[in-house]
Amino acid sequence: MKHHSIAALALAFTLATPVAFADQDTPSETAATAQTMVTAKVNGMVCDFCARAVTKVFGKEEAVDTVHVDLDRGEIHVTLKAGADLSDDRVGELVKKSGYDLVSVERETA
Amino acid sequence: MQRILFAGLALAIGGAISSPSAEARPVSYPGGWTVMQQNNGDFSSIHAHWSPTAKDSIGLYSERNWQTDWHFTGIQYNRLVKRWNTSNSQANLYLKTALGQADPFGDEAETEAAGFIGIGADWETRRWFVSYEGRAYDVGFSQDARQSARIGVAPYLGDYGDLHTWLMLEVQNRPEAETPTVVTPLVRFFYDVQLLEIGYTPETEEFLLNWIVRY
Repeated sequence: MKHHSIAALALAFTLATPVAFADQDTPSETAATAQTMVTAKVNGMVCDFCARAVTKVFGKEEAVDTVHVDLDRGEIHVTLKAGADLSDDRVGELVKKSGYDLVSVERETA
Repeated sequence: MQRILFAGLALAIGGAISSPSAEARPVSYPGGWTVMQQNNGDFSSIHAHWSPTAKDSIGLYSERNWQTDWHFTGIQYNRLVKRWNTSNSQANLYLKTALGQADPFGDEAETEAAGFIGIGADWETRRWFVSYEGRAYDVGFSQDARQSARIGVAPYLGDYGDLHTWLMLEVQNRPEAETPTVVTPLVRFFYDVQLLEIGYTPETEEFLLNWIVRY
C-alpha cells in the first residue's frame, strides 16, 4: 500500500511539473515563442504547378516556417517562425512574385 | 513509327539525364527549372528552360521534325505577356521565339540559321482547360507552320499533391503535312512535379507521348 502511495505521488509530481514550468513563463517569453498563421486569399491559383510556385517562393522567406496551399479555397496558409513577422505588403509582393493576385490577408496568433 | 517512338524515348531519357527539371506552361516561378518533352507523329522535341521571373523563361530547344526531315537546335525565350487571374480561373497569353541552327537529316546539306516565333494562350479552371498554340518556322531551306488547340476536363478534383487526371482532345493543323488536320484524344496525368500525356491519333495511327517535370 505504501509503495502504491509513493508511486502515485511520483506520477502526480511528474505530470504536474511541465504545467508548473509553463506557468512560470513570463509574458515576453510567451510572445517570443508565439507563432502566427497568415492566411492569404489569392486569385488565379488553380493547379498544382501554381501551388508549387507559391510554396517555393514563400518557402525562401526567412520568416516562414511552413506553407500549405488549399486549392479548393484559393488560400495560402503560412505559419511564421516563432516571433517572426511578415507584413501584409510583403505577403502581397510574394503572391505577385509567384504570378498571382492577392485578395485579402488574415492573421491568427497561437 | 518505330523510328519516332525510339527517338522520342531517346530524347526523353536524354532529357531526364541532362537536366533535373520541367512544366506545362512555358514560364515557371522565379528560379524554377522545367523540362518539357514532346513526341507525336510530326515531331519529337525537348525544351529545358529556367525562369528568372514569373514572366520570363529562357532555355534550350531541340526538335526533330519527322514530316519535313529537319533537326533544329537553338535558344528559346518565352514571355508571359498577360495573365488574367480570377477567383476560380487563370488565363495566359505567351510569346515564344527561338534562334539557332537547322540541318536536314539524311543528306549532306549545310547547316543553316533558323528560328521560329509563336504565340500560346490558355484558360484553365480546376475543372476545364482550353488552349491554343501557333508557330511559324524558318529553317533556311524550308518554312513551316503549325497550330493546335485543346479542350480538357478533369473528371474529379484533387487537392494539392494528389494525382490529377485530365481527359483532353487536341486538334492539330499543319498545312504542309500529308494529313493537314488531325484530332488526338489524350489523357493527362499530373502528380507532384511530373506531368505525363498519352494519346493516339487515329488518322495517322501515331501515338502522342509528352512529359514535363518542373523543379
